[in-house]
Amino acid sequence: MKSEIYKKLVDLYAGNELPAELNDQLEMAAFNDPELAHDMATLRKTVDILQRDSEPEFTEESYQRILLKMYSRGAAIQPVAPDPAHLQYSLPMQG
Amino acid sequence: MPNDALRDSLAERKWIAALAEGDPEALGGLYSMYGERIFRYAYRMLNNRSDAEDATAETFLRVLRRSAELRADGAFRTWLFRIARNLCIDRLRQQKLLELPPDAQYSGSEERSTLRVTVYQALEQLPREYQDPLVLCDLEDHSAKEAAEILEISVPALKSRLYRGRRALRDKLGSLLERTP
Repeated sequence: MKSEIYKKLVDLYAGNELPAELNDQLEMAAFNDPELAHDMATLRKTVDILQRDSEPEFTEESYQRILLKMYSRGAAIQPVAPDPAHLQYSLPMQG
Repeated sequence: MPNDALRDSLAERKWIAALAEGDPEALGGLYSMYGERIFRYAYRMLNNRSDAEDATAETFLRVLRRSAELRADGAFRTWLFRIARNLCIDRLRQQKLLELPPDAQYSGSEERSTLRVTVYQALEQLPREYQDPLVLCDLEDHSAKEAAEILEISVPALKSRLYRGRRALRDKLGSLLERTP
């Protein structure tokens, strides 16, 4: 029964979703349970590999090619540059 | 609401309203807001730059075609990702029929590229119901709530699939995990 609970906790542990106290408790439990320790380590590593994966680069060429594809399929699209930083925030008015 | 989220929400409302009025800048505005995220998501799904560009363009063309139905009520972004996902799934089905090779080496060292190819090959072997939460939550960093909305399932169902998917991927990666620092 306890190991079933640990298994569920391991899922949360792998995604760094456990509160610190439970996290420590689980790591302590893993000291005396090689199977649990292996489960925790390999699952967390799997999540780490995914989360550390670098993002696909959105290149200028890709940006332009996508625009061209939209034009060529008849879309009236006009590229819009992001707002300059000084226009992005409104300052509070002083009365 | 944090400043960035508030600004995005206001900009989104502005462009959706403008799109409904036929403003030619509106689609460009939405593309400048979401183009990169949709492209990245499509690339993660398809492992191929050219296909990801096609899927991104088609996603925004669908926005244009359905501009009259759009509502700026916060659901737009979820809807956009849902469209992109459906287009990617259609494309994956076609690829499967044609047996086209993936192209997962988008950047980084040779070692990381090899790792990425292995991880993506393992991901591709998982059932779609596991792949989706892994791509949305672990690769694209969507919250569980947002991913659940995109997939049109409950948050507990999303989490259950995510946890089972991680275990299935772990089992596929096997000895690679021992060799990866």
